[in-house]
Amino acid sequence: MKPDQRISRREMLGATAASVAGGAVMMTGCSPAGERVASESLKGKKFAMVIDLQRCTGCGGCSLACKIENNTPDGVFWSNKLTQTYGTYPNVNFEYVPTLCNHCESAPCVQVCPTAAMHCADAGIVNHDSEICIGCKACAVACPYDAIYVNDEKPHAFWRDERSALNGMTSSAMEVTLRVNGRELPYYNGDRDRDTPGTAIRSKGVPEKCNFCLHRLRRGQLPACVEACPCNARIFGDLNDPNSAVSRLLGRYRPSRLKEHLGTSPKVFYIRSYNRGAYESTKGTV
Amino acid sequence: MTTTLDRRSFLAATASGLAVAPALRAFAQGGLPMTPEPGAWKPTTCQGCTSWCATQIYVENGRATKVRGNPNSKVNGIHTCVRSHLSLQQVYDPDRIKVPMKRTNPKKGRGEDPGFVPIGWDEALDHIADSILDLRRNNETHKYVLWRGRYSYLRDIIYKNMTQIIGSPNGISHSAICAEAEKFGPFYTEGEWTYRQYDVANTNYVLLWGADPIAANRQVSFYSSVWGDLLDRASVAVIDPRLSASASKADEWLAVKPGEDGALAVAIAHTILVEGLWNREFVGDFVDGVNRFIPGRDVKEEDFEEKFTHGLVKWWNLELKDRTIEWSAKITELPADRIRSVAIGFAKAAPRAISWVGGGPVMQVRGAYNSMAAHALNGLVGSVDNVGGTMKGNKKFMDEWPDYKPFMDTIAEEGVSHKKIDQRGTKAFPALNEGKSGGGVVTNRCADAILAADPYDVKVAIGYFNNFAFSCPQSERWHRALARIPTVVHITTHASEFTWFADIVLPAANHMYEKWGLCPAMAGGYTHITLNQPVIEPLWDVKIDETEVPWLIGAKLAEKGFPNLLDYLKEIKDPQTGATPTDEREFALYALKHTTRVLWDPEKHQGGDPFEGWEDLRSTGVWNSDPYPFRGRWGKMKTKTGRFEFYSETLKAALVGHAEKHETDVDDILETAEYLARGEQAFVPHYEQPKVWGSPDEYPLLFVDYKSRLNREGRSANCTWYQDFKDLDPGDERWDDVAKLNPVDGEKLGIASGDRIRIVSPTGELECTAKLWEGARPGTVAKCYGQGHWAYGRVAARSFGSVPRGGNNNDILPADYDRLSGSSAFYGITRVKVTKI
Repeated sequence: MKPDQRISRREMLGATAASVAGGAVMMTGCSPAGERVASESLKGKKFAMVIDLQRCTGCGGCSLACKIENNTPDGVFWSNKLTQTYGTYPNVNFEYVPTLCNHCESAPCVQVCPTAAMHCADAGIVNHDSEICIGCKACAVACPYDAIYVNDEKPHAFWRDERSALNGMTSSAMEVTLRVNGRELPYYNGDRDRDTPGTAIRSKGVPEKCNFCLHRLRRGQLPACVEACPCNARIFGDLNDPNSAVSRLLGRYRPSRLKEHLGTSPKVFYIRSYNRGAYESTKGTV
Repeated sequence: MTTTLDRRSFLAATASGLAVAPALRAFAQGGLPMTPEPGAWKPTTCQGCTSWCATQIYVENGRATKVRGNPNSKVNGIHTCVRSHLSLQQVYDPDRIKVPMKRTNPKKGRGEDPGFVPIGWDEALDHIADSILDLRRNNETHKYVLWRGRYSYLRDIIYKNMTQIIGSPNGISHSAICAEAEKFGPFYTEGEWTYRQYDVANTNYVLLWGADPIAANRQVSFYSSVWGDLLDRASVAVIDPRLSASASKADEWLAVKPGEDGALAVAIAHTILVEGLWNREFVGDFVDGVNRFIPGRDVKEEDFEEKFTHGLVKWWNLELKDRTIEWSAKITELPADRIRSVAIGFAKAAPRAISWVGGGPVMQVRGAYNSMAAHALNGLVGSVDNVGGTMKGNKKFMDEWPDYKPFMDTIAEEGVSHKKIDQRGTKAFPALNEGKSGGGVVTNRCADAILAADPYDVKVAIGYFNNFAFSCPQSERWHRALARIPTVVHITTHASEFTWFADIVLPAANHMYEKWGLCPAMAGGYTHITLNQPVIEPLWDVKIDETEVPWLIGAKLAEKGFPNLLDYLKEIKDPQTGATPTDEREFALYALKHTTRVLWDPEKHQGGDPFEGWEDLRSTGVWNSDPYPFRGRWGKMKTKTGRFEFYSETLKAALVGHAEKHETDVDDILETAEYLARGEQAFVPHYEQPKVWGSPDEYPLLFVDYKSRLNREGRSANCTWYQDFKDLDPGDERWDDVAKLNPVDGEKLGIASGDRIRIVSPTGELECTAKLWEGARPGTVAKCYGQGHWAYGRVAARSFGSVPRGGNNNDILPADYDRLSGSSAFYGITRVKVTKI
């Protein structure tokens, strides 16, 4: 289990200085040739997410929707956040930056994977194939964003508990799951399995992370976090389409990306500021 | 065991997994026909807070798997906040009660195991019916109480009609621990005892008084969806002693000294007048156009000609003339230049400027006048009922219930003539809802009333969708009070703190997944009425609190010779067929069809969305009103003068009425009810020094209570997701309950982040974890309400039935009141001391 990873504001924003203008980055890991599993509908696309921090309210709706869509256990956050309280009272503020797998153009996790289990899938999405994974965890170590989780134990132990609070009057967790014909969870969502069998819940020792809800994209649906965001702060689309919403926004607002100096070339971009607000014009003083 | 095919068994089953798996994938992904959607979205309503969003649940083979907003709603539409998702863990919570239970340990107390045993519905209903019939035999039906917590608009069946037919005046709602004081200001200025909606699409300035609309009540889904755009257009200033989610995205955060909001409101009003920035179109002007609002000087009433308002000059002379920014700065401990900047920025945006009054500044002892003062700013800038300003709800329609009075016998009529149990309308508790002495409820006073048997003792009590033993300040009084009642019945989904004192426990249907109901809500210029619907089969042997349970009680009473209640309920027929309900299930559905007929029956349609029939409304899930008619109430408000009252003739009449009832004068009432104003000042919005419990010497810190953005009204702490995401509340930590202190205070007290601490107030104490946080105002301790359950379930409590996870703020909040509105005080009410454990 990992708590949400906190990096300093300086580290985060400083790192973005290179930004998109930084130009050439290593183009390994997620070139189109690396795609193994083609879906006709996704061919030729390169997906990216723009997160509008001004619209974001830090509610976490994205993360709850992600958890539900992907059956992730407690402590695993494919959709996550960086939070920081900065300044000293009364000149203080709180910032929330939603995070997720960055689907790097040059993905360290893909590069270090000895079996190519971590690979570039449709539309530039960094995906994981548990069938050929040997569980070495190199990907999780290599990811500079701590976006890859490995279950230390068989997940969802909570729902295997056979004890009840009030014997005969309340149920056990397992009893609920069985009663509603859930799988491991009463509210188990089988959409991933219907797309790719065996992927709905990851086993012990198997890495797991966001793949932009590839199973939904293939059905023409937006990622769960995008659809659920009550603020419309997540905008998803095709970088190869100059008319897509993401292309338009990236051309209008100078975007930042996390830890840009590492050359990973993330495809999760941030625009505008979480702490929007005006202040009285000043030149300061000596 | 689970039926899941784990990775290992999947590989084994396919013998050559590596070879087979890609083939399966090709089938799923290679352009071949995909499997059809396995489930469907079904409409219902989220009552995780009182936003009451229209939602849809994805149901697959009878199993709920996802939540989203109902696109048919013009209020929240597709948007639904983070809380709604937690509902999945509520409905599937293993700690839900699945059968009726009976207490076997007659001793009741926080540390006492109730010794619950499972019983059948018949035995449970026997016990309840016998208790009620005992009251009838002894002509003491008034000693029956129905406590209502959260509700849908099918509420009156159990709350009012059943209670009256049994013969009791005691339908007691939770409203006074919610936000009645928020309604006080609007009622005594513009004649509307209601919450407001705000025209955020057209406003240029938002002044949030303790409100945190992107995190907590109300219409969080709607406001979240528009806040990013609002920030492009409008300035936002937040008045809150702690750095809230809304404050973190605002232009100004004014960390007012807790309890002193009123001093800020009147200074803003003073500044608007002195600077000549009031809205002439709404308020009027000096006859000669020369501004005579000069600090410290009286103004002659005849010099000012008002248009749609009443009493501006009186307000100035009685209160505002000396309420300068400098005066306010000393009291609020805010910088004068910041106050000025906000006051002028707000007024210059007039009339597209919103003074948005939340619970913080008003749910205080003496908070009624803060509510008036902060709301009156909308009158000054002409934003009341105006584009870019404040609105009430749109016109909505519901069918009345059949008259229950013919079903009340002489015992019942005698019973309902008694005073209500909560002491409303007594000299010290005016509770002036809608201008009537005792028109409002004083929920938390019930505990004291029962303990003192004043006005009488209670013998049978039913609570539903409530947990007053946890949610009321100084909740320990409730523990003692409930222990005194011979028969306590709790209709509940979980074994909560209230349940711990119950004799009979009835398992309730989950409001969002298993219940019929309807809920009106408003935002963005529309009101919707959204239906609660059973989108899945009930998990256990549960019944719907507001409809099925009254039917079952009515049937049992009839079986024992008192048919009146059942006979009455049978009057509520299926409007489509005219059929009389034959069981509780039919009754629940017919009741909803009955009260919504005016929405779905084309022949009865009066406005808003039209429907072809019941099934059309049911499958759509939500009715929307017509758009809001701005300025429709200018000049015809429901006040005594028909105008927006800065000098409230409406409040004057109410106070005089209450005084006459008690054969005294208004000043005596004010003194008894613990207000400081005397004479004419009582009728204008004014500053009252807050009543704060505890001396600064003994209790050096002020306590700041607020609500977690994950609270489903205090009912979600048993969800692991609540705990796992608790750090979504700025400053909070996962799986913990932290009290935030400013690092300056931490250093003084020798307390560091992570230390276990005890917070002690004059009336109680709690234990939790310390967190040093710059977002906490120095001199305060800020802590979310929501944790501290010692019952409710095995996640919410560290040890179910005994040891809480964290601390309940209500264990340190004294039971005190804003007596004019009847509200319990939660904010600016107590000082505390903090020690390291």
